[in-house]
Amino acid sequence: MFQLTAENLSLIFPLYGHNGAVKALEASSAGTNPKLIYSPSGDIIGVHALKRVSFEIRGGQRLGIVGANGSGKTTLLQVLAGIYRPDSGKLHVQGRRSNLINIGLGMRMEATGRRNIMLGGLAAGHRRGDIQRRLAEIEAFSELGEFLSMPVSTYSAGMRMRLSFAIATAFDPEVLILDEWLSAGDEVFRRKAAKRMESFVQTAGVLVLASHNIALLKRTCDLGLWLRNGKVEAFGDIKTVLEGYSRYCLTK
Amino acid sequence: MSETRTTPNWSARETYLFFNDVLTGFKQWEVWQSFAWDETLSRYHRSMFGIAWILLGFAFFVAGVSFFFGSFARMGTGPFTVYVALGYATFQFLIANVVDGCAVFTGSSSWIKSSTLPYSIYVYKSLFRSLFPFLMQLIIAAVGIAYWGLPISWSALFVVPALFLFLINGVAIQYLFGLLAARFRDISHLVNTVSRILIFTTPILWVREEREGVIRLAADLNPMTHYIEIFRSPLMGTPGRALSWYVVLGCTVLVWTLAIFAASRMRKRLPFWI
Repeated sequence: MFQLTAENLSLIFPLYGHNGAVKALEASSAGTNPKLIYSPSGDIIGVHALKRVSFEIRGGQRLGIVGANGSGKTTLLQVLAGIYRPDSGKLHVQGRRSNLINIGLGMRMEATGRRNIMLGGLAAGHRRGDIQRRLAEIEAFSELGEFLSMPVSTYSAGMRMRLSFAIATAFDPEVLILDEWLSAGDEVFRRKAAKRMESFVQTAGVLVLASHNIALLKRTCDLGLWLRNGKVEAFGDIKTVLEGYSRYCLTK
Repeated sequence: MSETRTTPNWSARETYLFFNDVLTGFKQWEVWQSFAWDETLSRYHRSMFGIAWILLGFAFFVAGVSFFFGSFARMGTGPFTVYVALGYATFQFLIANVVDGCAVFTGSSSWIKSSTLPYSIYVYKSLFRSLFPFLMQLIIAAVGIAYWGLPISWSALFVVPALFLFLINGVAIQYLFGLLAARFRDISHLVNTVSRILIFTTPILWVREEREGVIRLAADLNPMTHYIEIFRSPLMGTPGRALSWYVVLGCTVLVWTLAIFAASRMRKRLPFWI
């Protein structure tokens, strides 16, 4: 049974300026923002990106994460994906993780699309032979055709997204972590991606998706998590969480 | 898969995680080998001679040096040319560990920030990428040895442990400098400055045995002299001084100790620095 459990995850994002710190914009505002961490002399030395974040998702559940810009959504996804290690708290992951957080990262721009499928597969821990066997299927899903033998640097943002998505979902991930995954795709690809998501969830995979698209989250997810200043404001049924979030947004 | 994280900067657990990273990364040889090969090919992409530039560039350098400086050495043009070829190839391979090591993590930030591959993958990739031109350059040296009919003895077999030591050193040096240079951006500038001086202060274009006094002492105080000697001497008829082997073994222990120390303190924060 695949599972993702976060217990009191906290993360401070250290900042490194010229002398290991960034000057506060105005001396008068120093020490006023609760998200920022100041040195005794008033310099900003870090950002409290996540504060005691806890939740649990089991196989077959789809978690949607909402929150204002800078509320810690992407940082949380990066911690869940195993890219950042939290300063404190525990993360239990059961299942093979795959992430699509920054489209374009984890690709060799001067290599062809086809070569990137191979590298992506190897990086995900698969054998060369296995990847070769699935190559045709992945290529067909990406619908990039002739472009697959051209360098990725020649691709448009949408084409890169197609390739990234095809690679990230090709090798049977068990825990899939996505950030705004549909923003660059066209209508045809969105439908195709949504279909793949459905079949993925039916095989009891765990899906985590951060987005500002409320309609998409309602359609795709059954659990919701609302982040505010790095803290969990609400966690539970997606409709309830989204209602609370929308109400909050209207008061702003 | 279960993960538990705690706060302290140094702990037995962090050291364990470092060794785990070094081992699991090594096992994923298909990944670093493919990465290294891709980078090598793209470096020479669209050039007419392609990878042959590695051979051409090196041959021109060695020919030029032996033409202009050969008469200063007492050992004669043939042996001196081979001496320069072996010494320069070894120097370049060794110094690449430090210079490329500084960029080993910063240059792979796109992968480190998007995948959960062990960090050592980037170290092995970098090491493997510089091993390839080194072996190509040794071919040139071998051609020189055959052309001038230089004697080859059983002591040539000492290159095997020497190369093994180079690789063991390379992993620790690249990991160490990768972490240091990611956190302290001045390191890579410093390394570049020092490496430019080292080429002249190390016996590569001149012969230690033909010098006396301060210069000879300076050569012996330079660890690079000993690293080069354990590889070059076997191919020129002697196993190399015992002193050189001891110095290299001592340095190996030292760089691994430093790498373990740095990794157990710094590895956790690496993705924030790049």
